[in-house]
Amino acid sequence: MALKVKISLIGALDMLKFKNMAADREKAIQAAPAREIKADFPINNNAKALHPDYLDLVVKEVVDHPEADAKSFILARAEGGPLPYFRAGQYISLKLPIGGSFLSRPYSISSGPKWALDGMYAVTVKANPGGFAADWMLDNLKAGDKITASGPLGDFYYDKYRDCRHVLALAGGSSITPFLSMAYAIQDGVEDFDMTILYGSATADTIMLRKELEEIAAACPKVKVVHVLSDEEKEGFEHGFITADLIRKYAPAEEYSVFICGPEAMYRFVGREIEKLGLPRRLVRPEMLGVTKEVWKQPGYPAEAKDKVFRLTVKQGPEEYGIDAAAGEPLLVAMERAGVKAPSRCRSGQCGWCRSRLLSGRVYAPEENDGRRWADKEYGYVHPCATFPLSDITLEVPGEYL
Amino acid sequence: MVKYDAVVVGAGNSGLSAAIRMQLGGRKTLLIEQHNLPGGCATSFRRGRFEIEPSLHELCDVGPENNPGEIRELFREYGVKLNWVPCPDCFRVISKYSDGTPMDVTMPDGIDAFIAKMEEYVPGSTPKMRELFELYEEIRQGAIYTAASAGKADPNYMREHFPNMLRTGAYPVSKVFKAMKLPQKCQDILSTYWGYLGVEMDHLSFFHYASMMQRYVRIGAYIPLHTSHEISTAMLERFRELGGDVWFNCRAEKFLFEGDRLCGVRTSMGDVACDMCLPNINADIVYGKMVPKELVPEREKKLSAARNGNYSARMFVAYFCLDCDYHELGITNYSYFLSGGSDSAKEYANLMGGVKTNDYCILLCYNVANPEFSPKGTCVCSITTLASPVDWNDGDPTTYVARKEAMTDKMLAIVKEKTGIDFTGHIEEVSIASPWTFARYLGVPEGAVYGHEVRDWDGIMPRMMMLKQDYPVKGLRPIGAGGPRGDGYSGAYITGSLVGKLALKDLNDWAEGGAK
Repeated sequence: MALKVKISLIGALDMLKFKNMAADREKAIQAAPAREIKADFPINNNAKALHPDYLDLVVKEVVDHPEADAKSFILARAEGGPLPYFRAGQYISLKLPIGGSFLSRPYSISSGPKWALDGMYAVTVKANPGGFAADWMLDNLKAGDKITASGPLGDFYYDKYRDCRHVLALAGGSSITPFLSMAYAIQDGVEDFDMTILYGSATADTIMLRKELEEIAAACPKVKVVHVLSDEEKEGFEHGFITADLIRKYAPAEEYSVFICGPEAMYRFVGREIEKLGLPRRLVRPEMLGVTKEVWKQPGYPAEAKDKVFRLTVKQGPEEYGIDAAAGEPLLVAMERAGVKAPSRCRSGQCGWCRSRLLSGRVYAPEENDGRRWADKEYGYVHPCATFPLSDITLEVPGEYL
Repeated sequence: MVKYDAVVVGAGNSGLSAAIRMQLGGRKTLLIEQHNLPGGCATSFRRGRFEIEPSLHELCDVGPENNPGEIRELFREYGVKLNWVPCPDCFRVISKYSDGTPMDVTMPDGIDAFIAKMEEYVPGSTPKMRELFELYEEIRQGAIYTAASAGKADPNYMREHFPNMLRTGAYPVSKVFKAMKLPQKCQDILSTYWGYLGVEMDHLSFFHYASMMQRYVRIGAYIPLHTSHEISTAMLERFRELGGDVWFNCRAEKFLFEGDRLCGVRTSMGDVACDMCLPNINADIVYGKMVPKELVPEREKKLSAARNGNYSARMFVAYFCLDCDYHELGITNYSYFLSGGSDSAKEYANLMGGVKTNDYCILLCYNVANPEFSPKGTCVCSITTLASPVDWNDGDPTTYVARKEAMTDKMLAIVKEKTGIDFTGHIEEVSIASPWTFARYLGVPEGAVYGHEVRDWDGIMPRMMMLKQDYPVKGLRPIGAGGPRGDGYSGAYITGSLVGKLALKDLNDWAEGGAK
């Protein structure tokens, strides 16, 4: 390929330099000392400290909340020392070996980020009907027990670029925990925003973590708590559910953000109420929903699949397992029952940590939980925590660092 | 123990490319990846109703179907099918010329259009610009020849076909521009892309810069329709079709040896036997952590010492998902290069000074190239800069968010000042990735995604010339952004392919020689 244009440069430049590039490089290499290679970097160590694969924890203390049928578990690092710092509102995924099963459960951290520096996280667990893992923890977990958890995760936290200065926090029952953490963070000066919590409980006597919340509200003018009682009318408390009118009543005059965390029924109710407010989407942030317990009620679910049990073949690295999978339960639950250590974190179809390859079979994934990437849908990947079997299935799942 | 012919560690760009190459060469290959999905940098993440592209700005050398570039050709050879979308224009740069006057220049794709536009900004520049692009093209051809010859280039052929490449290629870009007597304003505008290579013009070889520029300008740049996760997923799919196996959430810990020859990899899912391993891992980690100390060659220790931890492109990116159309924000271009000046040495020094002095960033709006990138009535932008360890070595977690916000505030202020674009009141989702984030997900030293700097003596041409010397451990051929073809997506894909070919040759030679 000869050049059409004669290039005028050159003069100062010569070909020898090009020819010598390899020799010059070798010279530079040989001139250096043969010292031990440094492969340890502060930035990588910082990242690892903040985002460990897993944490080996020990239950330091169990605080009983008999009024709410709940307990707070104060967790510390088994080997001592500070725990990873986090954004108030984030959760950890607890790994629970129960019988032959191996379960994971996401729990919002109910303590403030500052506790982590002193080596503590608190999670608060409330008994709930059919709550297999919660009940097991309430009945069995005691001081001194060891437990494995993920590092702190999730996007449910205050962000100054996105969220308004004033946040209206809507909570139901045990889902107050991320807001309690945010309240501690505000009180401790870790976060800087105003928060009004509308907190739904059944009766005044059963409010979970009431004392903790009210202590903060009394001491910190940026935090306000309004109790909303569904089953009781009482002076000084709101009565009923968290409605659009109630939100308007406590909303500030200026633009505000709404954060929501609650059980499935509350999400569905409050979701409709918030629509009435006509807020733009950027001002409304729901924490993850979890997966419906009644998948057969979801739009498009094939009725004939309900109550069936299918065969699930799981491939994980060099291993292979054959297990049963009930139609009404996510594929992840089937794996957990069988003791397969499948990865999972959010259990809402959103974080993608359980992302697995569907090698054969048909599945149903509720639209409201479908947090998959575009290409994953296109190429046959599923999030087993929010995917239900409709036939026998072969699934290739990632490993788990445990 | 499970046995494979080859194990590729790390399903990033280079790893996926090498894995396909090995499987195409008939070698049973296992790909292991420490994360739960492929791609490394070439991935995506979801926030609310958005899917966000973490790293790819524009992939050069794809080209249109009827005039394919090297990358489109490589993907064709691999049998990887993708939906490519062209990026409009080459770049817009808002900065200052060397003489201090303001620069606001939008350069189009296509050599003729690029030269014509330059004539508007710098009257009389056309003859010099023509010469420059002739030289660029010669160098692009020379680069292809050198890669194809895999370290065995014929000097006579080179002298006959690429004489000007041989004259200029080894010199720094700034020196060649001066020798060509290119008008200063042209030099200022042409220096815009230095950030894509992470080395300033006084220390970057003209060979490297010229081949990159030509790859971008000649046939334009492209992005995949559905983020770079689409590329990685399609590549992985092809690898599986060809019979390859992949294990996710699986970490390689050590390389196993029989004498001085690699015989396997210790992973978090157990030991895997193999004759060849291609770790998509920085050489300092490969030889500093994963090869037994007594087997680390003296030359590798010297090479590492000579490179002296000069890692390239510690990324800092703020992603913004906005609840309005990009027109409403006044965004008119796909990519804006915003900097305090066009002196790359000074800009580089400013970056390395950290948040206090950093005045360089790239604003990108994906929807300008791809209107379908996000839901109707929304758009997604990113602001990228190169970070300095001075801001991120401190491990205090209580100041981490404030440090991320300080850098983001500064970048948002630069964007607002130089373009008038203001996201306030439209941010529906936001995510900020610091070097800690890149270190977390990629494991790369200091969160630097480009490997060692392609600086001075360690440019891509001498690396290409020394393929024989640079893999001293039998059965171990590291790949990745720090490899012979340097950084960036295209460099990583080509390195994976090239080093994969060398690995195939090793395996074939050993089979013939009966050594194994």
